[in-house]
Amino acid sequence: MRISELPEIGTKYEIESPKGDKVAVIFLATGEIELYVLEAGAEKPSVTRLTSEEARRVGSVLTGALLTIEREDVEVSFSEISDLRINIHICPVTKYVVGKSIEDLAIRKKTGVTIIAISRKGRSIISPPPETVLEEGDMIVVIGEHEQIKACERQILQPG
Amino acid sequence: MDFLLVLGIVTVSCLALGLISKYLRQASIPAYIIAGILFKYSSERLGFDLISSDDFTQVVQGLGKIGIILLMFYIGHEFNFRGIKEPGRFFAGSTDFFVNFIAGFSLGLLIGLSLLEAFILASAVYISSSAIVISSLIENKRLIYPEAETVVWLMVFEDIILAILLVVLTSIMSGGSLAMIMIPVSLAKTLLLIVFILVLIRGLNNFISPLFKRDDEIPILLIFALIFGFSALAHLLSVSEVIVAFFLGSALSGVKSFKRLLGDTISFKNLFLTIFFFSFGMMFSFEFAGLPLTEFVLALLALIILSILGKFASGALIGKKQHGSLETGLRVGAYTTPRGEFSVVLLAVVIGMEMGISELLFSLVVAYVISLSLIGSFIAKHGDMIGKAMMIGINKLMTLKR
Repeated sequence: MRISELPEIGTKYEIESPKGDKVAVIFLATGEIELYVLEAGAEKPSVTRLTSEEARRVGSVLTGALLTIEREDVEVSFSEISDLRINIHICPVTKYVVGKSIEDLAIRKKTGVTIIAISRKGRSIISPPPETVLEEGDMIVVIGEHEQIKACERQILQPG
Repeated sequence: MDFLLVLGIVTVSCLALGLISKYLRQASIPAYIIAGILFKYSSERLGFDLISSDDFTQVVQGLGKIGIILLMFYIGHEFNFRGIKEPGRFFAGSTDFFVNFIAGFSLGLLIGLSLLEAFILASAVYISSSAIVISSLIENKRLIYPEAETVVWLMVFEDIILAILLVVLTSIMSGGSLAMIMIPVSLAKTLLLIVFILVLIRGLNNFISPLFKRDDEIPILLIFALIFGFSALAHLLSVSEVIVAFFLGSALSGVKSFKRLLGDTISFKNLFLTIFFFSFGMMFSFEFAGLPLTEFVLALLALIILSILGKFASGALIGKKQHGSLETGLRVGAYTTPRGEFSVVLLAVVIGMEMGISELLFSLVVAYVISLSLIGSFIAKHGDMIGKAMMIGINKLMTLKR
């Protein structure tokens, strides 16, 4: 990776693949980002201009931080540790659990699933303590294996 | 002359020609100069007689001067002293300077200009237009190529040479008008003022820095107080205000909180610089200092051809040394061909010194900047095609020789 400063334009990051293809990312002084791809032997590069939001999305796809987004499921993996994959699931609180605390429900004990966050009226409670009482309209964010999450949905959130 | 009428005429006519230039995908600098020329021409012919009213010229020139000061302030702020030191860049920059400056200087002497005037012409020939060059690099998607970096750093090198040329020229002119012995004195005065500004801003950093963080009118007022305050001081000491603005800009680049205001300063710069180009066009006369039109056109053509060849020659040298490729060098040459704002600024500063420079030089540079900003942007736009075509031509010549 080569980093170079282009006065009055911005900063250029470029990388060349063993095949001779070149990719350059240029952070313009205006705050936008240009993405250049020049295939080996090609006459002209392909260029696109991204907003910083778009660039962040492309970036997280490239780093592998985000693999799949399937409705309420997000699978996160890391480029450093390629065999570590974490399933994150978002489920709405049902009437069967409203008014109970996380401790009362013993979610972890019964299903192995851990609640990592609660979204409540636009605010987020990260890593809620066990005495937290669930309210109507809460969205809970949980991590766990596929089977564990299924179990959680069946045993805790549904009547039974 | 009503002040608002002046502003109305200038902004509306600049807007009209500016829009036309954008629509035709051309550089906009010549459009504003042409707006000024057209305005002067039509008011003389149609008998508006606005030009002869001193108020009009004074207002427009006054506002234009703010434009030059803000431009140099901005260039000073963006200037990067660290990056220029790399050996390859220094070689490239000096090659660009020597080839093109000497070419311009010789031609100036050849068409009968004085030594000083030839020096001014050479400076105008040497300096490319950063604005046109950089926007054409981005628009034509050249940023991935290694030569883009070379070209951008050439522009930076030209900025520092411009500052040096201005210091030298204004010292010669303000000191030299009194006596030769005064030249070192006025040079020393300029350098002292520069050092004073750099030291003062650094010393006052703790006082100034929080002021820039305020949310009221104080930050923008502070900027203009610094700019105009130091310009006034420079004026009193008969030092050029544009040099002061350049170094004030570079001193303020060390004040972190100033970054927030850069955008506002750029907007003011863009507005007043447009008015400056207009006022510059207004000074153009079709008389050519008594020279017949054909001779004037011949001199202009020679100047244009020489300037284009000059940049291609320096580009070829740089490309051969820096990238090991003649074709890359020819592209460097093509990208650096456009001339524009700096050549005009240089001339305007010289005129501001109120030392008689010939009308020939003036008309020549105006016509030259208009032509080369248009031709230059065309060449820069088609840089790779031109480079390739030239390579094919050169290769054919080589095989013919064998």
